[in-house]
Amino acid sequence: MSNPLLDVWEAASASPFHPIVSKDNEFVLGFSLLLFSLFIGGVFSLNRSFINLPLLGVPASIAFGFGSVLMICAVGVYV
Amino acid sequence: MRSIAFFSSCLAALSSFASAELNGSQALLSRSVLPSTFKPPQVFKNANLVRNINLDKAYPREVINVIIENVDSKPQSEYYVPFETSLLSRVGGFEVRDKKNAEKGPFKVEVVGLDTESSTEFFLIHLPTPLAPKEQQTLSISYSVLSALTPMPAKIGQSDRQYVQYTFSAYSPSAYATEKQKTKLKFPSGDVPDYTTLPAELNAEKKADPQKQGSTFSYGPYNNVPAGAEEFVSVRYEFTKPLTHATLLERDLEISHWGGNLATEERYWLANQGAQLKNHFSRVEWQKTQYLNPPSSALRELKLPLHPGAVDPYFTDDIGNVSTSRFRPGKKEALLELKPRYPIFGGWKYSFRVGWNADLSSYLRKLSTGESYVLKVPFLEGPRIGEGIAYARVNLRVILPEGATNVRYSTTVALVDSKTSVHKTFMDTLGRPTLELSAINVVDDFRERDLIVTYDYPWTAGLRKPIVLTLGLFAVFGVTWVLGNIDTSIGKKKTA
Repeated sequence: MSNPLLDVWEAASASPFHPIVSKDNEFVLGFSLLLFSLFIGGVFSLNRSFINLPLLGVPASIAFGFGSVLMICAVGVYV
Repeated sequence: MRSIAFFSSCLAALSSFASAELNGSQALLSRSVLPSTFKPPQVFKNANLVRNINLDKAYPREVINVIIENVDSKPQSEYYVPFETSLLSRVGGFEVRDKKNAEKGPFKVEVVGLDTESSTEFFLIHLPTPLAPKEQQTLSISYSVLSALTPMPAKIGQSDRQYVQYTFSAYSPSAYATEKQKTKLKFPSGDVPDYTTLPAELNAEKKADPQKQGSTFSYGPYNNVPAGAEEFVSVRYEFTKPLTHATLLERDLEISHWGGNLATEERYWLANQGAQLKNHFSRVEWQKTQYLNPPSSALRELKLPLHPGAVDPYFTDDIGNVSTSRFRPGKKEALLELKPRYPIFGGWKYSFRVGWNADLSSYLRKLSTGESYVLKVPFLEGPRIGEGIAYARVNLRVILPEGATNVRYSTTVALVDSKTSVHKTFMDTLGRPTLELSAINVVDDFRERDLIVTYDYPWTAGLRKPIVLTLGLFAVFGVTWVLGNIDTSIGKKKTA
């Protein structure tokens, strides 16, 4: 009995899934991004002007978003 | 007006996510109900039937090899196998193959019940190609019977040998007349103190029935047995091994695209169906025999062979971590050796959970057609023990990443239920689509059966988690700026 999904699996043998960031690099990258976010956030807290909101807030937020996802994976909670 | 349209399109998008499509290619073990007057049409006869009952494991495994012949004038494709209702509910892994062409895979089978409280139900086998009149075909019907062995005596001493009794019909279950048949039994040892002796007149060769040869007994041959005939016999034999029975196994497989990880967790509710202890459990007596490692009716250790690459195993129960475990990673397999907190004697229970992680790359592949993925995982892993383990119910959950849609699956394990639901856990906004599959009466022979799942997962869905967190922190920045600009000073407003 042929199994169509098994054929799909066999057909995709050349392309195993690899995550964007490998398990070994999750901690280093996640930690650096969170540190960067903390630093930029600190700079913003010294000078809370309207222009600094997008200029510092946006990169700090993006670094925090990706950094925390990687960090929570690195500590073993694979989200 | 535009906002209403936008809102409704958002709702539609959400609902399509929540009800991830489920179109499994494997038919469920369906059950149809027929009127009580139903009798299987006598369109077949069994020309020759040999039934092998293997009693090596804690559950009897039966293989019926039968040559069926169409005695009707039209081609026929529906072959019925009757079972008593109480027995049918304990029959697991019922599979039928063409004996001469076994690699073609199992035939489609469904359960047929009768509408009143009938004592007989049927497995209906659909032959892939109808059998022409007077043609013959050889079927190989295999199944296991769970909770079938009764300890006899029901209570034994801690170091005593255990004997179990199995009762079955010397005539193979059949809805058709059988010209010639024989039942062979394979015992784990030659120690069979009691067995039913049938009168020699029933036997086609007028010999003593059963015929014994070492640890193998054979009942029959019998000629011209009518449809539905039964002749119950019992055998009692030595089986000083645990009758390990899992009343429930919950198995979760969680896929993380961000972490590149497949997390497995299994929760077991085990019971030993063997003979109960006559006296109190003696730890001293138990410890004295440990170095000799004699056969025992108690379950003392479980060995879980995991796939190579398994890491971070854990073994906990209601109390907490169980320290009596060993993990031996290896290239061929990673062996997880578990020792329960106490030896599990007959009538005793033990529930625990084990879990481990593995790299997703060995289980998940990306399809060349767009953003679709195919996952291949074992349906069942669990312990590998010589005497076997039977699962009354297995609930498997495959937790897919948040935003996965168009879920399809395929497995050769007969299922009783399947659905998709939403599982909410860390950092989820809407929850993860979860494929829930249930099977009953599964035995450890099904360890290597695969489950294949395909799903679509656009790369934008993967950004959901970081974007939510990004927006969250940006909102904090915004609020800080707004609050920082509120002038809370007392007195006259400063003018720059």
